[in-house]
Amino acid sequence: MEEKKRKGVSRRDFLKGIGGGAVGTAIISTGLLDSQKAEAYPTEAIGAARGKSAIGLKVNGKAYRLEVEHRQTLAEVLRDELGLTGTRIGCDRGECGACTVIVGGRNIYSCSQLAVWMNGKEILTVEGLAKGDKLDPLQEAFIEHDGPQCGFCTSGQIMSGKALLMRNAAPTEAQVRRALSGNLCRCGNYNREVASVLAAAKAR
Amino acid sequence: MKNFENIDVKSVQEAVGLLRKFQNEKKSAAVVGGGSEYLQLMKVRVATPDYLLNLKTIPGLSYIKEEGGGLRIGALTTLVEVEEHKGVKEKLLFLSEAAGEAASPQIRNAGTIAGNLCQRPFCWYFRSPDFNCLRKGGQVCFTVAGDSRYHAILGAGPSYIVHPSDLAPALVALNAQIKIAGPAGEKTIPLEKFFVLPQVDYKHENILKPDEIVTEIQVPLPKAGSKGFYHKVRERLAWDHAIVSVATVVESSGGAVRNARVVLGGVAPIPWRAPKAEEFLRAKKLDDATAQKAAEIALEGAQPLKDNVYKIGLAKSLIERALLASA
Amino acid sequence: MATNEFSVVGKRIPRIDGYERVTGQAQYTGDVQLPGMLYARVLRSPHPHAKIVGIDSSKAEKLPGVRAVIHSFNTQIPWGSGGLTQKRMIFNNPVRFVGDAVAAVAATDRYVAEDALGLIEVKYEKLPHVLDAAQALKPEAPKIYPKGNLSVGEGRVSAPIKDEWGDLEKGFKEADKVFEDTYISKHVNNAQMERRVSVAKWDAGKLTAWASTQGISNARADIARDLGLPLSKVRVVCKYMGGGFGNKNQAQDYDLMTAALAKATAQPVKLEFTREDDFIGMHGRWASEQHYKVGVKSDGTITAVDFSAVTNMGAYRKQSGDLSGCDFYNIPNFRKVVSPTHTNTVVAANYRAPAYPQSVFGFASMLDQIAFELGVNPYDMFMRNRARLSKGKMAFSSNALEECIVEGAKRIGWNEKWHKPGAAPGPNKHGIGMALGGYPFRLGLGAATIRVNPDGTAHVLVGVVDIGTGAKSTMAIIASEALGIPLGQIQLTSGDTDVTPYSIGESSSRTTSFTGTAVIAAAEDVRKQIFAAAAPELKAKAEDLDLKDGIVFVKADPAQKVPLNRVMRRVEPEIIGRATTNPKWPEGVDGKAFAAHFCEVEVDAFTGHVRITRYVAAHDSGTIINRLPAESQVKGGVTQGIGMALTEELLIDRPTASPINPNYRDAKVPTHLEVPEVEVIFIERPDPYGPFGGKVVGEPPITPSVATVANAIFNATGRRFKELPITPDKILRAVRV
Repeated sequence: MEEKKRKGVSRRDFLKGIGGGAVGTAIISTGLLDSQKAEAYPTEAIGAARGKSAIGLKVNGKAYRLEVEHRQTLAEVLRDELGLTGTRIGCDRGECGACTVIVGGRNIYSCSQLAVWMNGKEILTVEGLAKGDKLDPLQEAFIEHDGPQCGFCTSGQIMSGKALLMRNAAPTEAQVRRALSGNLCRCGNYNREVASVLAAAKAR
Repeated sequence: MKNFENIDVKSVQEAVGLLRKFQNEKKSAAVVGGGSEYLQLMKVRVATPDYLLNLKTIPGLSYIKEEGGGLRIGALTTLVEVEEHKGVKEKLLFLSEAAGEAASPQIRNAGTIAGNLCQRPFCWYFRSPDFNCLRKGGQVCFTVAGDSRYHAILGAGPSYIVHPSDLAPALVALNAQIKIAGPAGEKTIPLEKFFVLPQVDYKHENILKPDEIVTEIQVPLPKAGSKGFYHKVRERLAWDHAIVSVATVVESSGGAVRNARVVLGGVAPIPWRAPKAEEFLRAKKLDDATAQKAAEIALEGAQPLKDNVYKIGLAKSLIERALLASA
Repeated sequence: MATNEFSVVGKRIPRIDGYERVTGQAQYTGDVQLPGMLYARVLRSPHPHAKIVGIDSSKAEKLPGVRAVIHSFNTQIPWGSGGLTQKRMIFNNPVRFVGDAVAAVAATDRYVAEDALGLIEVKYEKLPHVLDAAQALKPEAPKIYPKGNLSVGEGRVSAPIKDEWGDLEKGFKEADKVFEDTYISKHVNNAQMERRVSVAKWDAGKLTAWASTQGISNARADIARDLGLPLSKVRVVCKYMGGGFGNKNQAQDYDLMTAALAKATAQPVKLEFTREDDFIGMHGRWASEQHYKVGVKSDGTITAVDFSAVTNMGAYRKQSGDLSGCDFYNIPNFRKVVSPTHTNTVVAANYRAPAYPQSVFGFASMLDQIAFELGVNPYDMFMRNRARLSKGKMAFSSNALEECIVEGAKRIGWNEKWHKPGAAPGPNKHGIGMALGGYPFRLGLGAATIRVNPDGTAHVLVGVVDIGTGAKSTMAIIASEALGIPLGQIQLTSGDTDVTPYSIGESSSRTTSFTGTAVIAAAEDVRKQIFAAAAPELKAKAEDLDLKDGIVFVKADPAQKVPLNRVMRRVEPEIIGRATTNPKWPEGVDGKAFAAHFCEVEVDAFTGHVRITRYVAAHDSGTIINRLPAESQVKGGVTQGIGMALTEELLIDRPTASPINPNYRDAKVPTHLEVPEVEVIFIERPDPYGPFGGKVVGEPPITPSVATVANAIFNATGRRFKELPITPDKILRAVRV
């Protein structure tokens, strides 16, 4: 592995420093802590391997063949390559749920799956819910019950709601809350999102 | 993310062979199941493998089978499958609950049981690229002088991470076994022996060698008259890892404890069994006094850091609650 | 006008852009894709305070795919809205906090840009640093600015911030008892779902900036000023905006970096913050240490308040740093001294009702505690001291705070549920709490253009950005009401400085009153022209005509009527109405929206977990223009307050000065499972100055929510928590089963 030299100490030096000896942690000076801070942005090596593959995806019923870089996530490929920007990226860390899509009947974070892992999979995104001009009842309910405030989390909330309703047509409020609990809404519109899913379930 | 090459692995043998090969060639490689957890480390470049072995493409590793008085769970079985499985719910409700307490629905839908057991710590110093901590090859565990509110009170030093898994305490309480495949074939060991304390190895959370992978979890069903219990305390009811969690399996007969297993999560670098407390409980009647005493014993030797003293009382309370619920 | 006379105002109307928001078609800034677009990333300082001695970006520049690297040695662009009391650049030297921007890279894809960050070699010379605001004010503290760490103001902001009325000494003399205490609030991030992103493109010297901004007009003015361009050469577009809550008000450094990179590369550039960037690179709410001295009569009546505080503004002062939690009470004698202070930490600035929730927490906790010590029911304490006069003398333009308290208490069942604090034995402790809040209501500059098409439909042009409040819908509803044209026949265009008129910016809950007033005036202008055109056909004078539901009719004889589309045939080709309004706020009167919040909690004394079981929010926001999103605003504000009360805090590692939880996982934004149904009550007393009697809705709901939860925890446990957030560890330390 190529070493990225950091100011003062490289990662290899750290490793050497450890050796087989005991590591003292009882007394630590701030100076040592500071010298241990990673000073440069952590690029170990740019890496010779630049994985690329041709993959096949079925998104909202439509088949796609495309070449992806291995480090591209499903969310990035949906948005950047297929133009399906309804799938939002809020954190890119699997912590907010804005990128939620449905794969194999289950809602997942598309930011936390590599596109290459999705080869041959069927994916449902928010763009695939409406049938032509006819909105999915869940989308209707989100409009009617003021589901979106800023709207950035809305696609994800809807997809988690959809995944729930696909398995459970008549969920309780507690079940809805739990099913949506992987989707943050900083506008704090949780009451509305839950009400929308419950209303959609009733509308069926 | 650093550039790397993803390899869709087709068999356990291929995975082990590739891991061996990369090790010999001194190339860095990592395996992923659900991927949700490891990918985050790669995104912030805390993990920078050259090769990523995607195990999800191995057929036949996702199953829950009821066999010979126990369950066999394939390594790639997702957490939601463990949670929702009829047999698990009927026979080991608290294991289903533990699976259902992990992270968030989306992560439970993607994450696998093996991944849950092998996940890296969620210590903020470890997860941040800004801290070259002990576990990442640095010289210090930043927790000691830093913010230790979520860190270990038992079995720690020189690293103070806590094991983040919800399933691990429940499975250790059930005396589960873990099957590991390596170049020399497969071996099955008690799950309890799978995890490793930092005094032994402060860079890893388990004994898995660079050319080994987990293939199966075996869960014996507890004897008749047993009660299992899992309780997790956290600040937010989704996403958060346990501040403290407890899993207990108590086998009683005639109003007295025959056998008890008490395992804590969120307090130590491994799922923390309390053998002395278990021993104390043997043949005792479970009441406030014995539960309290067992909790005291379980936390003997706890060495909190400056911000996590509260975990001692919390762990005791949880053990008491769990034991009384098992009475 | 009473609410029931309106045809669309005051109803529950789904947002006009609901379809776009639920189908994924809404285009946010990050969705903008341009041919040949580059991706950019920002490199940040790992040191809290350091001089940059040199930057070597040659290795980064050689990386295939990298198109430009900018930093303080090759790019000097001021960031006007980044600092009010100091000249702040987009790249500063010295760097003053961990996270201060050092360089930015544009490359062919985001991963190459990220790779390149690691190849930039920066040589730092460390300087001494200080993290605590109180420490920073000591004479021996390292000076972040030559004048010292008190953020001494020039022009728009001052330090310390002072306010005073009445006679403090007299007030304390009249008091039967005097109480003193200190309350602490922490830095919490706005944590809006949409990460910061900016797209820039240059065409023949004109910059188009797709910004994620709460104010396109301000953003354009800022960018033009900072880049030295005429306003005509800057176009700012923001069609949909994924939240900001005060941290996307103007043009920010990343907008300027993006423009600079696009210029340097002669290609369009999209700069994206990572979530970590977002938590540390912009700003959150200022932390505070608040000291109160309160004089009261033995029945709880306040006679005097002496309030001093230090607020931690981080390394730069973007906004006031003020604390105004005493605003909702009748205080005859008052003094306030707030000292906004610099430290080497993440910048603090506006977050929803910037000066309020943290100090409402402090002051309402203080009053709740005094009530306890006097043996007074908190309800009586708050009712007795509720604001009736502003600053001890001024009347409010409208004030339904009393009704908010009465109705909210009735709804939650205060009388039946309140008990002596901490009385409940056992592990599950029930508690109930309340607090008062609100937000200033003002009038100001607004502009709108309305075009009536030949077929009688109308087009409303306003410069607002809908940040999630439903502002676009509100403007369309106001236009529909004021014009007399059905809502379905109104099209609204917003968010593009090349097309839409000025807007002050969608912050400080000003949109409805500022721009709404202009929409009404523009509608009046349109109606005059319509009536003039219709008068001949209806054989009536223009001033005797009215327009409702798209029908022009004679007021005295509504049977004499003509549809608008027929009137429009007489007009070639369209009617354009315009208005720029800037109503002056009347002298000697104060304007405020008010709120009284109530909640019930269950505290698990075993685990330290707090569950909010019920929440009632009663609001006086004047007339409610659209009930559906207005209720959502209240629910949202309460939710953010719950996070601030129970879990949220940006943590700085003390030994290294680095933030350790700049992510949703560890910053602990509330989830679906933390928030109960929030019951919303609107007490609608039309305000004489607001459009259709409306005041402000967006900011008030967060203001009392933190204190409400804290006071309920006190009622449950008998323990007063004086430092936020009230996490299980703190509860476990204080509470016994």
